[in-house]
Amino acid sequence: MRSTEAFLEVELYDGSPLNHRPGQFVMVSVFGHGEAPISICSSPSHEESFELCVRAVGNLSRAVNSLRAGDWIGIRGPYGRGFPVFEMRDRDVLAIAGGIGLAPLRSLITYVLDNREDYRRLIVVYGARSPSTLLFHKDLELWSTAPYVEIYVTVDQPDNTWKGRTGVLTLPLREIELNSGKGLVVAAVGPPVMYRFVAMELLKRGLSEDQIYFSLERHFKCGIGKCGHCQLNDVYVCQDGPVFRYSDLLGRTEAVEAWAPEMDRD
Amino acid sequence: MQAYVVSPEDWNFFLDGLMKAGAVVGPCRRRDQPRFHHFDHLDHALDLTLDYVTTTMPPKKFFFPTQETLFSFTVNGPAEIDRVGETTPFTLIGVHPCDLEAIDALDSAYSYPPAEKRWAANRNRAVIIGVDCMPDEYCFCTTMGTSGSRKTCDLFLTPIDGAYLIEAHTLTGARLLEANPKGPVQARHVAEREHWRKEKIARTTASLAAPIANFADILERGGLTPIWEEVASRCYSCGSCNITCPTCFCFDVHDEFDLTLAAGARRRSWDSCQLLEFALVAGGHNFRAERWQRVKHRWHRKFLYLYRRLGRPYCTGCGRCSRACTADINIVDVSNQLISYSQNGGRNA
Repeated sequence: MRSTEAFLEVELYDGSPLNHRPGQFVMVSVFGHGEAPISICSSPSHEESFELCVRAVGNLSRAVNSLRAGDWIGIRGPYGRGFPVFEMRDRDVLAIAGGIGLAPLRSLITYVLDNREDYRRLIVVYGARSPSTLLFHKDLELWSTAPYVEIYVTVDQPDNTWKGRTGVLTLPLREIELNSGKGLVVAAVGPPVMYRFVAMELLKRGLSEDQIYFSLERHFKCGIGKCGHCQLNDVYVCQDGPVFRYSDLLGRTEAVEAWAPEMDRD
Repeated sequence: MQAYVVSPEDWNFFLDGLMKAGAVVGPCRRRDQPRFHHFDHLDHALDLTLDYVTTTMPPKKFFFPTQETLFSFTVNGPAEIDRVGETTPFTLIGVHPCDLEAIDALDSAYSYPPAEKRWAANRNRAVIIGVDCMPDEYCFCTTMGTSGSRKTCDLFLTPIDGAYLIEAHTLTGARLLEANPKGPVQARHVAEREHWRKEKIARTTASLAAPIANFADILERGGLTPIWEEVASRCYSCGSCNITCPTCFCFDVHDEFDLTLAAGARRRSWDSCQLLEFALVAGGHNFRAERWQRVKHRWHRKFLYLYRRLGRPYCTGCGRCSRACTADINIVDVSNQLISYSQNGGRNA
């Protein structure tokens, strides 16, 4: 990771497990600096601790970045609707990660790997801006040589040491054979613009909106559907999401329009 | 529900008793602006003005303060949290039916799981006494179905011929009246109350051109961008509508350090979906960057989203937003423009 990302392993004060579902988030406090939502990036199968990957983009995340091992943080949660791990059973799972979107998806991927027999194919497509912005190198290395996961990694801007794929992540997406029809569930996490192109690509491949899940980002302050900041039309992203089935987002102009501003007309 | 008649002397005796027993807040003339009223602590019984049309700010501020400390903390090692909350009981007098209905609406919104407990704690330490009223040209409670509301009050007053008909709506209200001088209700008192009710409806001139359920459908169908853009061209995104609205409840949370940097507090304050930064996320994306999107959101939130989610519109027809708007945007006028535009197949009438 670069110096703008911090990777934290967190143990709760009394040693109890967080008992989260992949895709949920916690509200992280660095008292005095504030509180912000961070997706959990580890599997709930590991009970002694859980992991957070925090990119420094705001007040709280910058404060988190300057913490050291042994420091204390405040945790509220877990909150929100996670990935539909039950629905994914006995089906192929396609995880599409854009940039920091790999953090919450890592929770799903490691969960599937911890329960490998409950799932069929596990395919990971990961796109980052450049080799220096790639996250979770150890996991990527492990997954790229493991027989039980198919992984495609691509960067938009290679440097002169990069020997892997280049270009947007919809390119490797096109190469993958997807022939299980309804037997496939897709989970995609990344910037809004990525969702637009991923959705187009998947629908072109004959998938339907009810097999695709996106994790959405909004401003969260309370995490419990009260402060109003995360409103997306009539739903609260902190409670009814952050993971949403794509078919539930159709007709919600504040979801679709964030991906395609020219489409936003009332 | 028991009802009695209290003469002016009985009422003064009752009010004195309340003031001796604890804190009382009610509508008072603003000293700096005598044409306006506000809910304030009563130092003297004479400060109370029960005969008022509206207050600038709604009484929700007593249950959901404009700013409050949630907890204080110290940060040596694991943080130590000290929850902060008011516990003093108080009496809130002089709440109009539109505002009673609004308090009930916020009871619903804040108790929707997981419940927001601070509102409930503040509600539990208050006795509410409602009073009936007459509208001005901004009021539209009748069309919102709230003009006869008795929700959440312990006692309710209707002015009748120099006295009050007082209804006890809860056991708490009945108990408060027990030891107080009062008289029985006679047929003519009931007739006067009924006359007040009818007169109030007759005098309400502002109203929506469609039933609430139809208005929700109209908003849901969409295709109203020209109206949103027209309103947005006048709107300042100042948030006055949210501040004065008795059913708005969005808030912001922030931490503060004290000078030692080893202790501080987490505070919350009222927030407004009309402000530019409301939907701004770290990293710079703003999900409602355009003013017309924020204006549209307010209407949808009040008349559609919360209507569907919680079963009532989050507008009680008090008219405060119209009175307070920096740009004189009137909620009834705009709503009727939306209705008319939609009913004319997307054309201005």
